Amino acid sequence: MKTAIETESLGKRYGEIQAVEGLSLRVSEGEIYAFLGLNGAGKTTTIRMLLGMIKPTAGSATVLGTRVRMGSVKPWAAVGYMVEDPHAYEELTVRENLEVARRLHPGTPGKAVGEIIERLGLAAYADRRTGTLSHGNAQRLGLAKAMLHKPRLLILDEPANGLDPMGIVEIRELLLELTAGQGGTVFLSSHILAEVSRLAGRVGIIHQGRLLREMDAATLERERSRRFLLNVREIEPARKVLLAAGHPATRQMDGTLELQDKDAIEKPEEINRLLVEAGFPPTRLVVEEEPLEEFFLRLVGMGENRHE
Amino acid sequence: MSELSGMLWAEFRKAIRSRMPLWTSLGSLFLPIAIAFLLFVARNPEVSRKLGLVGAKANLVAYSGTDWEAYLGLFTQMVAAGEFILLVLSISWVFGREFTDGTIKDLLAVPVRRSSILLAKFILIAAWAGLLTLVIFASGFLMGALLQLPGGSVPILLEGSGRVVLTACLTTLVVLPYAFFASAGRGYLLPLGMAVLALMMANLAVVIGWGEIFPWSIPLLLAQAKEPLPQASPWIVIITGLVGMAGTWLWWMKADQSR
Repeated sequence: MKTAIETESLGKRYGEIQAVEGLSLRVSEGEIYAFLGLNGAGKTTTIRMLLGMIKPTAGSATVLGTRVRMGSVKPWAAVGYMVEDPHAYEELTVRENLEVARRLHPGTPGKAVGEIIERLGLAAYADRRTGTLSHGNAQRLGLAKAMLHKPRLLILDEPANGLDPMGIVEIRELLLELTAGQGGTVFLSSHILAEVSRLAGRVGIIHQGRLLREMDAATLERERSRRFLLNVREIEPARKVLLAAGHPATRQMDGTLELQDKDAIEKPEEINRLLVEAGFPPTRLVVEEEPLEEFFLRLVGMGENRHE
Repeated sequence: MSELSGMLWAEFRKAIRSRMPLWTSLGSLFLPIAIAFLLFVARNPEVSRKLGLVGAKANLVAYSGTDWEAYLGLFTQMVAAGEFILLVLSISWVFGREFTDGTIKDLLAVPVRRSSILLAKFILIAAWAGLLTLVIFASGFLMGALLQLPGGSVPILLEGSGRVVLTACLTTLVVLPYAFFASAGRGYLLPLGMAVLALMMANLAVVIGWGEIFPWSIPLLLAQAKEPLPQASPWIVIITGLVGMAGTWLWWMKADQSR
């Protein structure tokens, strides 16, 4: 499979601050790759380097087979992007802003403007000045500008920012359509794991400028820890029964028993049967998945002490 | 459609929609109207007496503007000072707004050369300067005609008009470096601050005798037309304009755009 984005030991230093360091990643054509990190982790700096807006102080980036250089016109004819908050010329209407974007991509037919307005649900606002748009609609306009010329690669920085739930679903569907239907590639950044886990085939986790982990969606699901929680009326006797059966349980402050062993998590009905036969029927049984946010914080090493 | 024509469409559309050319044109009408008012007051002693201080000022202005030749001299100085300020505002807006409005990032990773984007902006500024000159020129001549100034022979009007156009061209050239200040300063503050500094320095340079070599003094000296400028002076202005354009291009090509 062809490579859409490749970086090699990419780095950016601003004086004493190392914004991005030793970033090597590879995104294949046709995939949705999510770049996940907390605010200030280096996501936007990386995206700006990929787009030739800032010059790396180390390493290199290649986009659609072209080594990225500042001021170059390649390979941008096949790339659409949106960096940070969307901005538009406020004195122009939505349609006029898209006309400006069309002229920034010579060869894009005039009808593309009308098509993208329809596709992104901007028809009602097409002749309205962009200064009066809500944040959500401004975000749609930003995406419309990025997708206007039907790019092979979309680079999007926090694309769901400011969108309402319906807008998020629409954007997700659009991006899936672009990749599955048209073979396009999407590289998006986000700080919300729940958002990207439904969309991305692969996830790269960046923290303090360094790429901590890369994993596919299945691994992401697999690595989220799960725990088995149960409540019984007689806590200590029940805990002893479980321990004797090889299922060590810890008692939480509220009296809930927590089991983390794989057998218990995968066969909760066995635990139920064991306790019923011992005369301590559970009043509540639940297998809980680690919340995505906690999983993410655990991955970046902030899960333990974030409450301190 | 060539990329330059596309960029020209975009730049002119943005400018027209913003109404900035309209506001600066209206602003440029102020000085011809003010001068004409003062001349009118000076020529009508009764009005002059009633207005007191304004009448005294009007007499001073009228002293130097009683015929077409003197009036055009005064008028050229207005072009040098007034158009400079209006063009600094215009160029600061054309370049600086891309940074303050955050639209610069939409111009950077596109299949259009940055030089085409910049050239379109500079062409817009040239057209804008032409518009302002035309407005000042037309309004000034209209005022002169309404006041029925004497001495309006063809050679005097042509010579005066030529000087107005030349002063406007030199003023436009010395404004070009403000594109760099607006870009490097990522907004309006730096170019406006530098404009104030340039006006102060220009006056100082004239006082200490360096006016003929200080780029921002040269249009003012040409407008005053007290004595012929050295041959090098126009070249200094041309080089200043070219350096301003080259600096802007280099900055757009090489500087990190991290905002």
